[in-house]
Amino acid sequence: MTYVIGVDTGVRELPEADRQVHALADELNELALDDDVLFCTHLVRSGPFPHIAVSIALPLPDEAAARAAWLRLSAPGGAERGLALWSAREEDRPLTGWATDDRPPHDRPPHGRAPRDRPLRGPAALAGGAAVAAAEHGARTAGRAVRYPGHGALTGTLTVARLLATTAIERVTVIGAPGAPDRGTRLVTRGHVRPHWQAGRLTLATMPAAGGTLVPFEDPDPTRCCADHGVR
Amino acid sequence: MGHGHHHHGHEGDTLPPAFDPAVPDEALTPGQLSRRSMLRRAGLLGAGLSAAGVLAGANPAAAAPTPPATAPTAAAAPPHRASGFLWLAGDHHIHTQYSNDGKYRVTDQVRQGARHGLDWMVITDHGNETHARIGVEKVNPDIREARAIHRDTLVFQGLEWNIPAAEHGTVFVHPGRNEVAVLKEFETSYDGGVRKATASTPANEALAIAGLHFLAEQVQRRKVKDVLMLANHPSREGVDSPHEIRAWRDAEPAIAVGMEGAPGHQAAGIEQKTGMGRARGLYDGSPGAHSFPGFPLEAYRTWGGFDWMTATVGGLWDSLLAEGKPWWITANSDSHNVYTDTAVRGGPASDYAANGKHTDPVYGGSVDLTEGDYWPGQYSRTHVGAEGFSYAAVMDGIRAGRVWVDHGQLISGLDVRVFDGRRWATLGGALHTARGREVTLTVDIALAGAPNWAGFVPRLARVDVIQGDVTGAVADQDTFTAPTAKVVRSYDTGGRTGTVRLTYSLGPVDRPLYLRLRGSDGNRSAAGLMGASVDPAGPAVDVVGDADPWRDLWFYSNPVWVLPS
Repeated sequence: MTYVIGVDTGVRELPEADRQVHALADELNELALDDDVLFCTHLVRSGPFPHIAVSIALPLPDEAAARAAWLRLSAPGGAERGLALWSAREEDRPLTGWATDDRPPHDRPPHGRAPRDRPLRGPAALAGGAAVAAAEHGARTAGRAVRYPGHGALTGTLTVARLLATTAIERVTVIGAPGAPDRGTRLVTRGHVRPHWQAGRLTLATMPAAGGTLVPFEDPDPTRCCADHGVR
Repeated sequence: MGHGHHHHGHEGDTLPPAFDPAVPDEALTPGQLSRRSMLRRAGLLGAGLSAAGVLAGANPAAAAPTPPATAPTAAAAPPHRASGFLWLAGDHHIHTQYSNDGKYRVTDQVRQGARHGLDWMVITDHGNETHARIGVEKVNPDIREARAIHRDTLVFQGLEWNIPAAEHGTVFVHPGRNEVAVLKEFETSYDGGVRKATASTPANEALAIAGLHFLAEQVQRRKVKDVLMLANHPSREGVDSPHEIRAWRDAEPAIAVGMEGAPGHQAAGIEQKTGMGRARGLYDGSPGAHSFPGFPLEAYRTWGGFDWMTATVGGLWDSLLAEGKPWWITANSDSHNVYTDTAVRGGPASDYAANGKHTDPVYGGSVDLTEGDYWPGQYSRTHVGAEGFSYAAVMDGIRAGRVWVDHGQLISGLDVRVFDGRRWATLGGALHTARGREVTLTVDIALAGAPNWAGFVPRLARVDVIQGDVTGAVADQDTFTAPTAKVVRSYDTGGRTGTVRLTYSLGPVDRPLYLRLRGSDGNRSAAGLMGASVDPAGPAVDVVGDADPWRDLWFYSNPVWVLPS
């Protein structure tokens, strides 16, 4: 059974969201979850301010395990977090009794039932963002995966075939080219591979790069607006 | 100096000596003579210039082009004389040492721009607290000095505005007594950075509109003679939503008139071995919390060096043109730090925050391969059809949309006319004709006749005519597709030299439409994002770390409308 927990602290930029993912992974470490946990970031454009929330998909044996993860993330220190839980099985929603704050969030998630029916906690705006994140990830319609099965091995250069064989990534696309790339095409990972949920499949968009290679669409070190790239 | 002191009175429209056939070659300075040679090679000098149009004129009995009926534009009045326009090359996006990430003196940029053939330039340092407090004032004497030294170059003072809730934009004013005061007040009150108003929120979007209204008020109150705003690198971060662009234009159609069709930083994609090895245009962002959710990933990258909004046939730009909204494109350098330059920012004493500027650059002792910019005019040019050589005429020409752009000096001149046998219209204008009348598009192109700044003579391989129906106002302000726009005709121009005339017969025109042109060196192309049936050979996405800009050259024109009634 897959449960998805949405976590929202109102992060503004993607690098900060990535750091938050890794911190949340550390928090959950003590639960000895296996490697199948999948962490995504989600753009929350609705609500009082545009920001980024995180979702964590946990393949768990039972509700008790989901409750343990929820409690861990709700622990002191997580006070300013919005949290939301999404369950793969409709009949398991809501997991009653978990919510400590049932104020309706600012916005309803785009998919599934209203967040009011789900376990939610935290400040309303953040709980709303958490609900968006959890629902998007649960429905696999959106979400940018930061940690996912096989991500740790993605360094250096590898073929598209190897990427598909060793990670949770199911599909590779190339910007500006129709169809899928040849499976033998080399992908220069730059140590930064962020696939997205797209119509139910974890999809990596790539760009043509020097020497007939591909690079992930997302640049690990994008030029910052007004960045002082002239400084040496 | 002789005619070096030729007074062209920036307020009048006396020609600079290089342009003026009455001034003999012997009377020109070496710089002016070099400029004249360029004009001559381009077929842009002589009787054709001041008397009968830039290139082979169409109909001398031509009536005035006027803007589309659906477009409440403040487009400049048509030329009253039967002559053509003075096509003035320029750049409205140039940084100096008064930008936190800049390096050069104003005079460095202006002399480089002039040397590279520009007639007009806008100094656009970044809006920020330091600049609003110090730089916006301190840069003005430098600009005035550059005007005095470079009498044949129009140097505007502007600002790179952090548009609240959106990207950057050029704001510039007609020179005058209050140029600094108006820019300073505008920056202090309406810059997104100064006001901490960069987030994509409705309140910040409203601040942007208020800023445009403020600018309009300065013109109405005669504080400045004229103001223009153009959106810079609009797709770079995906934060210029379609509804914001429409809102700017609709709020002040005489001020917010266009966007960069191609961003600067065109050298940024040169391979790592000899260059920055990044994305062309430094378009390397990804969707973020502030970006418009509807934009596809394709929007965040350049296509043949051009912004996705412009490069996509049937895309965002076409969706505005299909509404009949005048919205023009430009191409600029965004010059901060020039590729292969040997100057470096002045040493450790450079204290931008304290001085409002970096200290003057010094010789660095090596060639800098880690930057992605060109000098103004070296690669990107915005050609404006002006009614004279003056600040006002350049601003009027931009506002009227008499603008085409090119990269790498791909072509030297472009004259576009739609003609119904009685009247004609050119870029930015509209031909009002009787329903069912035969209309013909005539395009005269002066091919490159001399080497560009990379040392070769560019060859134009193909010209595409893009046509779309004018379908009226859209209900959804976030519309960014135009289903009827497509390439209707392509011309093979390979192997041609001198000038080329292309004629495209539209037949009897029974519905409102627009036409725009695009040309390529033919080196890189791919089916367009709306499919091969819309654009069989459009620009290809630029390869990360392997985008030699000199091997992928394009020109784009602004549209001309045909409006039967």
